This record gives sequence, C-alpha cells and structure tokens, in this order.
Amino acid sequence: MSHTVLVCDDAIFMRTMISDILGQAGFEVVGEAETGTQAVEKYRQLKPDLVTMDIVMPDMGGIDAVREIVKQDPDAKILMCSAMGQQALVVEAIQAGAKDFVVKPFQPSRVLEAVQRVLG
Amino acid sequence: MDLSQYAELFLAESREHLSACNQLLLEWERNPAAAEPVGGLFRAVHTIKGMAATMGYGRVADLAHRMENLLDHLRRSGHAPAEDIIQLLFRATDALEKVVGLAVAGREREADLAILADIDRAAVQAKPAPQPSALARHFVASPEPPESPGGPTAPAPSLGSGLLIAVVIRPEAPLKGGRAMLVVRKLQALGTVRRVQPPPAAFESDDFDGRFVVELDTAVAAPDIETAVRSVGDVEGVSLGGGTDEGQVSPAESAAGGAGEKGRGRHIRVDLRRLDTLMDLIGELVTERGRLNELAARWVGKDPEIDDVAIHVSRLASDLQNEIIQARMTPVWQVFDRFPRLVRDVARQLGKQVAFRVEGKEIELDRQILDELGDPLMHLLRNAVDHGIEPPAERKRHKKNPEGEIVLAAVRERSSVAISISDNGRGIDRAQILEKAKREGVLGPHVESLSDDQLLRVIARPGFSTAESVTAVSGRGVGIDVAMTRIRALGGSIEIRTEPGKGTAFVLRLPVTLAIVRALIAAVGHERYALPLTYVAETVEFGTTPLTTMEGKDAIVLRDRVVPLVDLRKLLGTNGGAPAPPPRRPVIVLEMGERRAGIVVDGMLSQQEIVVKAFDAPQGTLPVFSGATIMGDGVPALILDAAGLV
Repeated sequence: MSHTVLVCDDAIFMRTMISDILGQAGFEVVGEAETGTQAVEKYRQLKPDLVTMDIVMPDMGGIDAVREIVKQDPDAKILMCSAMGQQALVVEAIQAGAKDFVVKPFQPSRVLEAVQRVLG
Repeated sequence: MDLSQYAELFLAESREHLSACNQLLLEWERNPAAAEPVGGLFRAVHTIKGMAATMGYGRVADLAHRMENLLDHLRRSGHAPAEDIIQLLFRATDALEKVVGLAVAGREREADLAILADIDRAAVQAKPAPQPSALARHFVASPEPPESPGGPTAPAPSLGSGLLIAVVIRPEAPLKGGRAMLVVRKLQALGTVRRVQPPPAAFESDDFDGRFVVELDTAVAAPDIETAVRSVGDVEGVSLGGGTDEGQVSPAESAAGGAGEKGRGRHIRVDLRRLDTLMDLIGELVTERGRLNELAARWVGKDPEIDDVAIHVSRLASDLQNEIIQARMTPVWQVFDRFPRLVRDVARQLGKQVAFRVEGKEIELDRQILDELGDPLMHLLRNAVDHGIEPPAERKRHKKNPEGEIVLAAVRERSSVAISISDNGRGIDRAQILEKAKREGVLGPHVESLSDDQLLRVIARPGFSTAESVTAVSGRGVGIDVAMTRIRALGGSIEIRTEPGKGTAFVLRLPVTLAIVRALIAAVGHERYALPLTYVAETVEFGTTPLTTMEGKDAIVLRDRVVPLVDLRKLLGTNGGAPAPPPRRPVIVLEMGERRAGIVVDGMLSQQEIVVKAFDAPQGTLPVFSGATIMGDGVPALILDAAGLV
C-alpha cells in the first residue's frame, strides 16, 4: 500500500509541485492545507504517514503547526520545506519535532531521499 | 524536471500575492502603527521568492529575497515605518511585478533592478538591535529542548564522562545548521546529550561551518550510533571517542486544538481555455439535442419511450450548460483589487485627497467580460480623480470635506451587472461643454441645453476634452470614448449622471455572460443570421413607414425620428441563393444608447438562445460579425454585431 501524504503550503504552485513529485514516486497525496491551522486539523482527520510543511504560512506558521501536530501525535513524520536563509527557523522546527527538511528550490531526488529518511 | 508546465501557475499565483502586497501597503500607509500589514507582506514576498527559486527565476528570487530581508527587519523592529520606506516598498512591488512578467516571458535579463541598492540600504537602516533568538535564550536556560515536556532535565552529574561524537556535515549541504540539529535530535533519542560544541545557538547562523561535537551518555554501541548519525543524511564524517543513562521523550498530552475550516469551499485552478472548450462542446451537445428532438418527434408513434429519453437528455444538456456558465464566473475583486493603488497613486500625483471605496466585490461576471473591463474602469477612475474631485483648497472654499470620495460599486441586476463609478466632486459643467461642443461644430448653434445622454455623446467623442491643460493622468480626450467602445463591444451600455457641485457617476451595464445570448434569427435568402436581442428595439415592415434619406442614405421615419437603413443583402453582398428579395421585408430596428439603425432582412424566423462561439474573421471580412453559432440543424450562422451596424 502506498504511503499517504498531507501537503501543507500556502502557495498552490508549491503544493502542485510537491504533489507531482511525490505522486510520481507512488505516494498518495490525501490532503492539502494552506495554513498551519488547516494543517493541524487535517492531520487529525487524515492521520497521514507523512506531512510536508512549509515554514511561512498565514494564520498559524509551519513551526507552530509542527508543535501542535507533535502534541497530538509524537510519532508524526513531518518534513519541513524551507528556503535558503531560513537556517534559524529550520533549527527551531527540528527542535519542535520535524524529522527532516528540504530546501527550495526542490530537486525531486533530494525530496525523495528526505522522504525515505523520514519514513525509514 | 520540466518546469514550463508550472509557469502559468507561477504567474497567476505571483499576481495574487502582488495584488495582496499593494492592498497591504495601502493599509500600512493609512495606519503605519498597525502590526498586521508587515507580516502579510513578508509572507507574500516570501512565497514569491520560494516559487521563483523553484522555477529558476534568479532575479525574481533575488529581488524578493532582499524585500523579504527589509520586511523582516521592519517586522522585528516593531516601529512604524517612515513614509519613504512605504514608498520604497510600493516601488519595489512594482519592480517585482515587472520582473515576474519578464521572467515568465523568458526575458528576465532585461529586468531593471536598480532598486536593489535602495532596498539594501533601507534594510541596513531598519536592522533592529541584535537580541538573542528564542532558541539561544532557550539554550542558556536549559540543555533540553522545550518540546520534550516531561522529559528528564536531569542535572549532569559530571561533565566530560560521556561519549564524544564529532560530526562533519558535507560542505555543499544547504542549511548545515538544520542538518546538525537533526543529528543532535537523533542522538537525544539514543541517550542523554550532555553538551554540544559549538552550542546549538550557533547552528542558527549562516556562518556555521558544519563541524560540531556532541557529548552523549548512552548504552548504545558505537557502530549503531554512527549508523544513526549517518542516517540523518548529508553527513560527511563521524568519529567517536571516550563513556549511562537514558533520556526519553515522554508523550505529551494529545491536546485537541485548531479550529477547522470546513465551511471553506474547495477550489482548483482550471485553464480558461479548458472552460472555453467545454463550452464549445456543450454548444455542440445542445445542437445535437435539437436534432434528437426532431428525430424523437418522428419516431414517437413507434416507440413512445424515445420521447422520454429526448426530454431527459434535453434537461441534462441545459443543466450542464448552466453549470459551465457558473464555472466561468469570476468575482469582480479579481480586477477591482488593483484600483485602490491606482487611485492613490493618481491622487498623490495630482495633489488631491481621495477616499476610495469598493462595494460589491463578490459580484460575479463572466471571466472574459471581467478581463476586458480593467482598462475602461481604469480610464473612468483616473477621470474621476483628475476631473471629478476638486483640489483640497477648492473643496474647502465650497464647504466640502477636503477629502473627496470615489466609490466603485458592483450590483447584480436581473440579467446584467451594473458597475458604477461615482465621485462627490464638482460635477460636469454643462454650459462649458455645450459651448465647446458648439464651437467645435459638434452641436448646432440652436441647442439650448444638454440631456445626460447628449452630454455623454459629446464628451465621448474621440479627442474631446475640456481639461484646461493636458495632464499626464487624463485630459487627452481618450478616456471616455475608449471606455465606451470597449463596454459596447462587450454588449454593455454606459450612462452618465452629473450634478454641478455634487459629483458625477458613470454606470456601466454588462451582460453576466457572453457565452449564451437570446437572439433573433433573421434570414437573407436561405442563409440565417443571429441578432442579439439586447439591442433589438422593435421590428417594422419595410414600406409601411415613410421613406426618406439621411446623409444620402436610405432611412425611414419612425415616430418622428429618422432611422438610417442598412440592407443586409447589399451590405453582405449576398442573396442567400434567392435572387429576388420577397415582396414584404421586415426591418429590425437596433438601438444602442441614442443611436439607431434599421436592418432590412428577407424574413424573421425565430427567437432562441444561441451559444456564442468566438470567430476568427478572415482578413477582409466586414466588421459586422461578433461571432458564430451552430443552429439546431447543425448549420452554422454568423452573429451580427449591433455595434458594427448602428
């Protein structure tokens, strides 16, 4: 059975691209969220095997969403999607419980490696 | 990976964010002490940066990155920004919009990024005093991450008794500090981390070189530790040297939090061309439906069930048609949202004070109409600021609020949408217009006064302007005639109301959709032509009304008004396969505002809803067709454009 994924990013562009990369690798994208609040809510509803999480999102940011999700499920597997220059935020997200991170611009191979590490 | 497939999505989404930037800047300019705009701006610019980097648009990403940097400093300083900073951000937003457009067109290199230096300078000035980050503060207070509540924060019994693990992150890895933090987290799961050198606060710095040492109390065997560290990825080397206790993260209470947004509609983006294709297909389905009905009528005696099927198919086709029309609907804010910025810029340029309000943002129009509406509205808004609203001093003299008001409002009417642009400015001086119109020979010398309709016709004449001096903003006499032409081409109408000293309002009425219209089907010989009913005023029989001539052309007199005639046979140069016209020919009177024309045809066949298809006219075609449609029997018919005939 393929792994289920929840993709969280405020940009449709990014969600589309991540979904394409993961979809082509055989993952099943079961949900998308465009704010941290939605991410937390959808995680609870969908219980996905993996979450990809943007750091900067309106409403509730990605790091706070990681905290909330990890509070619900300490085993949650969350992959941060960050940009160059976000070192401090990435460090904070990992402190909050994120399992790995990828840096934009995404290379599909690096995304898939990170996903394997998180799920492995 | 082929990125070109994402270019359109990138462009559409970047534009949304740029529009949001303008809105937020306006809000910030009005209330510099507000904290929300800078956060929203930061997010919007950040999102554009991420998307651009992914697309490989280096210059877009670079500009966005520097804007983000400036915004981050402003956000963290917590001070209200100076006026010139907001102006700089407005300019930067414009520059970003330009380079986004160029990038998508493959001409990113042409972008003028002179503004980068200004942004960097402002960012340096805005940089807040350094303060320890949340993480740094945390590590001063406790060696354990706060996210492991309930975990042991056991005081270290003796420093230096643990296993020393030296790790080097690959030099080419991005965000080495993040990678290092993952290693530390991994080791925290294997034992108790006593010390990290350099302290993890250093991981936050971009200068971090990827080399660090962790001191760990653990029972796990060395090879397993090395495997665990390497599993983090991007690890160049691990070396273990020299030391039991187990740290574990206890599960926290699973608190339920976060309000759902179930009420929100789910949306996807669809290429407009797809909707057009769908509309075309449904048009064909509707055509086939007509043929099916004819067949059913013939066969119903043999098998009555065929009638049920035909009725059912008919209904499904109508439902489909309605759904697709709905899918083409777009809320007007998608165009209106750029106007607050425009009005502000024009007002500043002209030294006017204007409060601008938008009403009915959620009203929907066919996407195609909305796309065409931007320019005419822009003209009319510019005019309102330039000619409508008086300078503050003049307003004060007339005991008016020095700040003028312009309202852009959309209202849904029965089968159309009315969009009004009203100002509370000085109104149009009829006497002045009348005098100028007489002087230019537009009106005869005997005309005493102007009705609203006449006034509109006069000011809408190409080149007509009463602005005392031509400003860069308007007054070149191009505004209103351009706007009117566009609106009419969309099947809409335009009205004016003006009162001296009180203000002026333009009201545009537009069909909700262009895709389906009711039309009168007229014949020339055996050919059929469709005339949208919107402009059909009445029909009379040729020869029953007095004939006359107007400017050398045939005309009829209809209720004391002279209506010029257009003989469709002559105009189109066709007899439709019938050499002689029938003895009795109808005249279809079209009306657009004050203008009328009588179209002489061979016959009138029916009134029906037609599906409008875009029509690529071959060169040399008369400019009297606005599209084509397929009739019930599958034969195409051309749609006559009232604007081209009247």
